[in-house]
Amino acid sequence: MKYYARRIAFYAFTLWATISLNFLIPRLMPGDPADIMLAKMARNGEVAPGVEKTIRLLLGADTDQSMWDQYVAYWGNILRGDLGVSVTKFPTPVTELIGAALPWSIGLLGLATIISFVLGVGIGAIVGWRRGTWVDHLIPASTLLQSLPYFWVALVLVYVMSVNNSWFPRIGGYDVFTFDGPELTWAFVGSVVYHGFLPALVVVISSFGGWLLGMRNMMVSTLSEDYVTTAEAKGLRTSRIFMTYAVRNAALPSIAGFGIALAFVVAGAIIMEQVFSYPGLGKLMITAVQGNDFALMQGLFLVITITVLVATFLMDVVYGFIDPRTRSNG
Amino acid sequence: MIRSTARKRLLTAVALVTGVTLMATGCSGAGGGEGEGTEGGGGRVLNVWAGSQTPIVANFNPFAPTVLHGALGPVYETLFVYNKAEASEPTPMLGESFEWNEDGTQLTVTLREGVTWNDGEEFTADDVVFSFTNEASKPTYLVSAEATDATTVVLTFDGPQYTNEFALLGASWMIPEHVWSGKSAEEMTTWTNEEPVGTGPYTVKTTSDAAYTLVANESYWQDGKPAVKEVRYLGIDANQSAEDLLKSGDLDWTGMFVPDPDGIAAAGGPAGYVNTPQDPTVLYTCANADLGCAGPQTDVAVRQALNLAIDRGTINDKAFVGLAATISPTYALLGRDDQWIAPDVEKESPQSADADAAAAVLEDAGYTRGADGIFEKDGQKVELTLTSVDGWTDYNDAAKLIEEQAKAAGIAVTASTVSWQEFSDSRQSGNYQLVMGGMIGTSVADPFQIYRDWFSGDYTQAVGTQLEPGEWNFSRYANPVVDEAVQAAAATNDESAKKAAYATIQTEITRDLPYIPLVINATQTFFNDTDYTGWPTEDDLYAFPPSWGSVSAGYVLGNLTPTE
Repeated sequence: MKYYARRIAFYAFTLWATISLNFLIPRLMPGDPADIMLAKMARNGEVAPGVEKTIRLLLGADTDQSMWDQYVAYWGNILRGDLGVSVTKFPTPVTELIGAALPWSIGLLGLATIISFVLGVGIGAIVGWRRGTWVDHLIPASTLLQSLPYFWVALVLVYVMSVNNSWFPRIGGYDVFTFDGPELTWAFVGSVVYHGFLPALVVVISSFGGWLLGMRNMMVSTLSEDYVTTAEAKGLRTSRIFMTYAVRNAALPSIAGFGIALAFVVAGAIIMEQVFSYPGLGKLMITAVQGNDFALMQGLFLVITITVLVATFLMDVVYGFIDPRTRSNG
Repeated sequence: MIRSTARKRLLTAVALVTGVTLMATGCSGAGGGEGEGTEGGGGRVLNVWAGSQTPIVANFNPFAPTVLHGALGPVYETLFVYNKAEASEPTPMLGESFEWNEDGTQLTVTLREGVTWNDGEEFTADDVVFSFTNEASKPTYLVSAEATDATTVVLTFDGPQYTNEFALLGASWMIPEHVWSGKSAEEMTTWTNEEPVGTGPYTVKTTSDAAYTLVANESYWQDGKPAVKEVRYLGIDANQSAEDLLKSGDLDWTGMFVPDPDGIAAAGGPAGYVNTPQDPTVLYTCANADLGCAGPQTDVAVRQALNLAIDRGTINDKAFVGLAATISPTYALLGRDDQWIAPDVEKESPQSADADAAAAVLEDAGYTRGADGIFEKDGQKVELTLTSVDGWTDYNDAAKLIEEQAKAAGIAVTASTVSWQEFSDSRQSGNYQLVMGGMIGTSVADPFQIYRDWFSGDYTQAVGTQLEPGEWNFSRYANPVVDEAVQAAAATNDESAKKAAYATIQTEITRDLPYIPLVINATQTFFNDTDYTGWPTEDDLYAFPPSWGSVSAGYVLGNLTPTE
């Protein structure tokens, strides 16, 4: 049990540190948010008389507070689930904005990550099994795809499939020209799937190579283990050796990696969402950073760090069960 | 963990099925979408991008900084519409006429009769009084607002307020007292007002995080208007996406920068296009050593030399793709404000570089050319840093060009890019030498506001002190002659007296150059003139054309008619 107590203490400390850093970092950035907002509006062409007054009213309210008071208030708010009010989308609460973006990110990236994992691990297992044959050529091909920058793949796909040929839509999570908002109809679901196809494709193309390579390598080394040779000598069916002896053991590291990859889904693929104007968390993050929107930034970082921490913690615990070696102190 | 082969197979099967349905439903979704979009010909929804980004959050409160564009003009109206694009008389809207008293301390407005709010209530003089006296919008100089009869409102001020005519009549939103009267000052800015009650041609139909739709106000006071029954404002995050949608014909009206405007129509987008340059791009110089500015640019000779050394023609061609307009060092907008430019000052900034003249200015001021070709005085080289905001590529390119051009004239300028935050910090506090920045063009055909807000000593602070709200004099320039002339101009409505004051200001600022003028930024508007008519065009600039124009956008929408 000591192992778990140690793990829990460690994660509690990490959580405290990340939340505190989360508080500190935005406050170390230079610049006056009100002036930045004004400069931006001026850049876009128009600052109506009186707007400046109201912006100052909103943003200059509690700058006199000491850092420590702000820190205490910050913890109080977090414990109450109050992440503050967004400045760029004033006066919407941050929780509402994150709540609206979260399903899009999880739906799109979660699904894409699962597809990519299943594809990568599945093909990797086969390639590892048939090592030394023509299927080995899949490896360089898939790693090449993996090495292409994410955003570049996204831009090329948009250029070819949306701009040059209008096979796929250009922006959004659904067809904004048809639907006034999300609704529960098959047409709407279809529209969501249609809009999510290209972004999902980008994620799959640029990530499944990693799973494939990892799985294939594990497969090759597992197949050279003595127990596999023994199984073959016993005359077991090949499918049984493949599934139960090889794949099961070779997939272990990939499954650990999968847990972490799922956690990062919440962080959103920032650039991918920006390229496709997809209404997820990644794009929300860009909006927040560009607008010096501290509350929104902190809210997003908080959600992301907590998800990643929880996921790593769960993987840690699960791994303690699967593999007793991780529990003993070397 | 995978327990059995069966489960593994199941997983694969599920993945496969998901993939297949994904593609199948995807294709059917596409078909459905297109069918509805083009239905109904002339009665279809007009699609607008006014610069909103996703997620769109319903906010139709005209006093909130995050208000959606649809509220400003289409829903709420002002007493008059002022045309920013051309010198012309204001168009009567909710007000029919106005009159100043002799010394400019009282403004009498006659209101239109028979106007109703979109909730059916009558628009009254009391609403107008409330619109001027409520906590959120009451100007500091307003003493009282009174309704003397059902259609007359008298505004009284603490001094001559001719210069605020536009702010009062052309930019103050008329709001219904019966809706807003219970609100505190704070509520007035934080209330999101999702079902706005206004007098304008449109009301809000729906809002989602990707778009919002306005629908015609059937009881609008101008009979037969608006002819376009539905307008959809989209949220688009990147200019590139907007450009693509424009090219594919999905957008009918937008105001945005497109480097190759001809390419839009060529690619099948809307053919209507107008460019109405408004806002100056300048070099801010921290000019006033008395207020703490440091560096060679505090010497007027260096600023004059730099002004001569810059090749504006090249900068416009290379950095602004030839779309920017010529700037006047008087900051009067050429073409619109010509009448205000004094005859004996330089009307236009030089369009080509004159390195010799620049060198002559520096030599006359006692500078000598060093071995490396850079001028120096008292052992101090003329070395300047020029910053621009990273990512504003037109400004970054222009800064690089200025670096080269200045070098040819013996001035070492180092161009670098900074973040938004640093840009904001430096101009607010005055800790900079040169900054590539913008100025806000005036909303009426008169440069006064620039003279007061950007050039007068009352609108600045010492270096190290942040500017107060409403102060825009980032250069820290303070010149008693200019200040006096600004006050003289503010106190009169007499054209010749104003011209005399402006002449004084122009002589001073074209010599002192606290801001070095570069170009007037392009303001491009694209519109679909095949399906809709009535747009402001180059021949008939009846209103400021871009879709994000406050007040003017509502006026333009009201004037559109679908063809057929």
